[in-house]
Amino acid sequence: MTYAVCIDTGGTFTDCVVATGDNLRIFKTASTPPDFDRGFMNALALAAEDAGLGLDRFLAEVDVIIHGTTASTNALIEGKTARVGLIVNAGHPDILTLRDAPEKRSFDWHLDYPEPFVARNLTVEVGGRFDSSGRELEPLNEADVRAAADHFRRMETEAIAVCLLWSIIDGAHERRVAEILRDELPDLPVTLSHELNPVSREYRRAISASINASLAPVISRYVSSIEDSLREAGYRNDLLIANCVGGMMQAAEIVERPIYSVMSGPTLAPVAARHLTDEPDVIVIDMGGTTLDVSAIRDREIVVSPEAMLTRYDLLGLPKVDVRSVGAGGGSIAWVDPGGLLHVGPQSAGAQPGPACYGAGGTEATVTDANVVLGIIDPDFFLGGRIRLDRAAAKAAVEAVGARLGTGLLETAHAIHAASNHTMIAAIEDITVGEGLDPRECYLVAGGGATAAHLCEMADILGITRTMIPRFVAGLSAFGGLVSEFRSEAVATLAMTGERFDADAVNRVLTELTTKGAAFLERAGVATEDRRYDHLFSARYRFQSWEIDVPFSPGPGGLGADDVADLVSDFHAIHQRVYTIHNPEESVEFTAWKVRAVGAGRYSADREVPSPVVPAGAVVPKGRREVYRHEVGAAALLPVFDADRLGPGMHIDGPAIAEAELTTILLRSGWVADIDAHGNFLLTKDKA
Amino acid sequence: MTEPAADAEGFDPTLLAVLSSRMSAILREMTNTVVRTSRSSVIKTSRDFSCGIVTYDHRQISCESGLPVHLAALSLTTRPISKFFDDVKEGDAYVNNCSYTGGTHHADIALCVPVFCEGEPLFWTVVRAHHADIGAPEPTTYLPYARTIYEEGLHFPCVRFQEHYEDKPDLIRMCRMQIRVADVWYGDYRAQVGACRTAERRLKELVTKYGLATVKAFIEAWIAYGERRMIAAIRALPAGTWSYETRHDPVPTVADEGVPVRATLTVDPATAMITVDVRDNMDCVPGGINQSETCATAGCLIGVYNNLDPTIPHNEGSASRVEILLRDGCVVGRPTYPVGTSVATTNVNDRLSTAVSGCFTQMGRPHGRAEAGYSQTSGLAVISGLDPRSDRPEPYINQFMLGLSGGAGVDGHDGWVTHGAPCDGGMLRIDPIETVESMYPVLIEERRLSSDTLGCGEWDGAPATQGSYRPLDHDVTVNYASDGDMFASKGALGGSDGAPAINAKRHSDGTVHTLPSFHEEICGPDEAICYRSNAGGGYGDPRARNPARVAATVNRGWLSHEQAQTVYAVALVRAANGVDFEVDEAATAELRGQPV
Repeated sequence: MTYAVCIDTGGTFTDCVVATGDNLRIFKTASTPPDFDRGFMNALALAAEDAGLGLDRFLAEVDVIIHGTTASTNALIEGKTARVGLIVNAGHPDILTLRDAPEKRSFDWHLDYPEPFVARNLTVEVGGRFDSSGRELEPLNEADVRAAADHFRRMETEAIAVCLLWSIIDGAHERRVAEILRDELPDLPVTLSHELNPVSREYRRAISASINASLAPVISRYVSSIEDSLREAGYRNDLLIANCVGGMMQAAEIVERPIYSVMSGPTLAPVAARHLTDEPDVIVIDMGGTTLDVSAIRDREIVVSPEAMLTRYDLLGLPKVDVRSVGAGGGSIAWVDPGGLLHVGPQSAGAQPGPACYGAGGTEATVTDANVVLGIIDPDFFLGGRIRLDRAAAKAAVEAVGARLGTGLLETAHAIHAASNHTMIAAIEDITVGEGLDPRECYLVAGGGATAAHLCEMADILGITRTMIPRFVAGLSAFGGLVSEFRSEAVATLAMTGERFDADAVNRVLTELTTKGAAFLERAGVATEDRRYDHLFSARYRFQSWEIDVPFSPGPGGLGADDVADLVSDFHAIHQRVYTIHNPEESVEFTAWKVRAVGAGRYSADREVPSPVVPAGAVVPKGRREVYRHEVGAAALLPVFDADRLGPGMHIDGPAIAEAELTTILLRSGWVADIDAHGNFLLTKDKA
Repeated sequence: MTEPAADAEGFDPTLLAVLSSRMSAILREMTNTVVRTSRSSVIKTSRDFSCGIVTYDHRQISCESGLPVHLAALSLTTRPISKFFDDVKEGDAYVNNCSYTGGTHHADIALCVPVFCEGEPLFWTVVRAHHADIGAPEPTTYLPYARTIYEEGLHFPCVRFQEHYEDKPDLIRMCRMQIRVADVWYGDYRAQVGACRTAERRLKELVTKYGLATVKAFIEAWIAYGERRMIAAIRALPAGTWSYETRHDPVPTVADEGVPVRATLTVDPATAMITVDVRDNMDCVPGGINQSETCATAGCLIGVYNNLDPTIPHNEGSASRVEILLRDGCVVGRPTYPVGTSVATTNVNDRLSTAVSGCFTQMGRPHGRAEAGYSQTSGLAVISGLDPRSDRPEPYINQFMLGLSGGAGVDGHDGWVTHGAPCDGGMLRIDPIETVESMYPVLIEERRLSSDTLGCGEWDGAPATQGSYRPLDHDVTVNYASDGDMFASKGALGGSDGAPAINAKRHSDGTVHTLPSFHEEICGPDEAICYRSNAGGGYGDPRARNPARVAATVNRGWLSHEQAQTVYAVALVRAANGVDFEVDEAATAELRGQPV
């Protein structure tokens, strides 16, 4: 028997999903920041133990490990990235300070201007200049580059980014800078902006190159430590890492381009949701210990943000799956401000010390404590009873908050529960209402063990009537890794117009890009029949700054001279659809050509993922317990079902609780749950 | 728009929040449409445009999605349409760019689209955009010397450009004949059409979804909520009357002594009203720097809004708590036809909002702010010429935004670096070097934040931006109207002034000469135009500034360590790496006369 494993390392928990021929299992263990590799190996040890094998025997039978990791996100948030030196053209040292002018609210002046990603005293100017047509107006001043190396040495720089104007037209100066740096500072990783991210507009290239450089040592160390641990434990097969564009890459490729590891992990949640449902418009929420990540699917496509932000004021510079995080999780701490207003988060008790009820030294009330007090979580059945929660500690912590608010125990616990719901709702609205998508017309897929206790109430407030709690809700992202694809996009700029169209030149470019993509898929070991190439062109009307991406199919023989009319009319049509205007008389400018190489993973596409084995039986509650119900203002005795014994075709009515080892579902009154063929809980709001 | 905190007189507070975010989402989609589809860099990258939604009876719903001067008095721009037309119908679109019919200035084309829901007119969607050219006699959109409207180019005093969702070809033909680089103009105009029509579609969907009665009730609740928030903010201010005066730089033959601008502001917490009186100012001047009524009204509101909680919705309700007293024939009032207003949105407008803002500063800490930098240097010039890069030289014209003026220090925060002039309110973007250089045959040699220019204070103003540019293989015509070269931004409450703006030319022999402030210059390929924007003023005594912040400013290259010592009384020494500076605590305490 062989296994496929996906490990998703979050800030608080490390989730592990293991698939074999006929079964799917999930394991959860605490993350171990800052040495995340320990938690990674702990998760594998749990899986091996469950398989009844030693770790080495188990790993010998694993043929692929897919990994989503918070390592880079964590390093960025905590400022533990490498110290980057930036080389720019003489005269232009403030690209990262000025940006395009950061966006702010009108009439708001009581705020600090954001610091640049690379400080000015780590930014060095060098002489040399191309113009926009690629004419060299001034040769590279090599003495300046050597002086920069000196400066970086003194500043103890750990990585270098290079962004020179018009390097996308002629990259010779950037490449020469890299050569000199290799000579002067052979140990430092160097990122060239035109190689990493060949787009126009210098700030976008400079920021992405700087982020990439800042992560290079971090990710290289991280991947090495995981690979070393795996090798020591006897693993010989592939390690694949989830990337920010919703696919996976070989570990070696993510080390080359570490910026693609930003938000690796959270980007897998929508991948999972897309596999789990055929609904066109889906909101995906994934609640961990510290944050809630929200993403979306629109018309069956995972929403990608072309102008993704790294922080409020800085772009990532590259497109990224649109995942928005808010500080709301099971470990979010409740606190009362001097004005007597209750807040929940963004501070989190994390995994250590964790909520008060963990009894590990935490004294502050968290969302989990509130849920224990409300009776939603059974203290004796947390993680299937592996951890016995301390109800008294939860009560004491919530009471302390109540004393400041002047409210009773249950009322306070509910206020904490509800406040955290509202924080999460705001995040959901941000990605739906904020983007013109009506949440009430969306399907909602939940991720995270703690989410199901909050789901119905949030759905009620948002007006959502259909949601899914997947069987592997607690490891949604890890499940996403299992069903993800290999993805890499290659872009080439080649400018022409509809009137002066050179199909041969385009075909040459497409062949080059496809060769690149094929090499990527070859390295990933994807069989030829499992490879797919999506083709897109970027086009615009003259003088527009923003292109639209238009999909096209070149056909086996490539584009012919006659095909241009179709490309042009497709562009006009999409421009009309997106912006309500088009001008068929105007010339269309083609600017770039893209080939997205997609390789099926073991379980991606239409391949069936093994379903969990659920014993057949009657729908009978395993017991009843008192749960506070705010809508009636008192605790009521609710039936409690063992979720692991609810198999395909079964049905329960709210109000009720269904609990499994890693999750507790609170089904409110008016909601019904049906279990589908894969063991997923489909929740529907009763029309009556 | 912001989240309402309390219930709005019976309207469901959750629905109020949902619908106000829907309106914000529609405005964002409008903005996105303009950015993505427009052609001139002044619109698509500098974002010199604004999107708004006004009720059909001309009440403002928000002014968050664009430049304050474009939006603060937006309803004055749609109002005259109702006066001129009794047959407004679905599918119409109106153009208004005339200062005498509610426009801001002639280069700002406001496209106004009526929105009918279930047969009833409910809204106007408006995009006001600053075009690269508007067919003036000179190749520029700012004409400080144009004494009358007859010297300004095309005016459309509420003209129906579309019926049945179609452009009127005769009007388009007329514009294309008279506006320079007509293809770019038309592309920009169509971008406005796209944005207004997108918003029209979204508003109709909103009404379909929530029902006409609910949407109407929402509008009332939203405006009432804005008013309640404003009342609360005014009640938190001290009662009294304050005055402040500032002075626009001299414009030869137009205002040889400059233009003093005075404002008097009265706060009455009892009635929760603010009164802004700007009648005590000089008459209109014989040139283009007079205010239009829309700009004068906006300038007064900007001065007030800049000093209150920014989360207050800036709608008809909040504006109703500000009484604005303007005078006919006044340089900052209602202009007397046909006097020129070509430069109404920027120069004297900035002085006007600064004068109103300065009244708040007179209240003392923590109120008010220092003066922000003034604008329109040669780094924000309208450039034009013949692009030699194609087979046949092609004309080009555009205002670019290379360097914005620095923001003002306020209590608790340093100035915002990309503030721009008060009329822009930090909402403009700067042009990427590569966007400018690909579109126009110019080379931007330099753009950097300028050392030792910021106004010093306990809270610093932001530094100026300086740089230079030159044409490639041809001559470029450069037009600008630079205020703040002489009367630069002033510091407040002990803070020092920001460094003035500079406009200069580097000749082929390397010598540099200062250029006039209001000027057209032709620059050859072996020459260069040098610019420096006006920095922001400082707030509070520099000697009270946290020494660590002073060291950080020096390490950023914004301040010399000499200035740290002389102005801030902070002694710095080299750090171990031999590059950075760090605070010498003992020497600083001594300099500041504090016990060590």
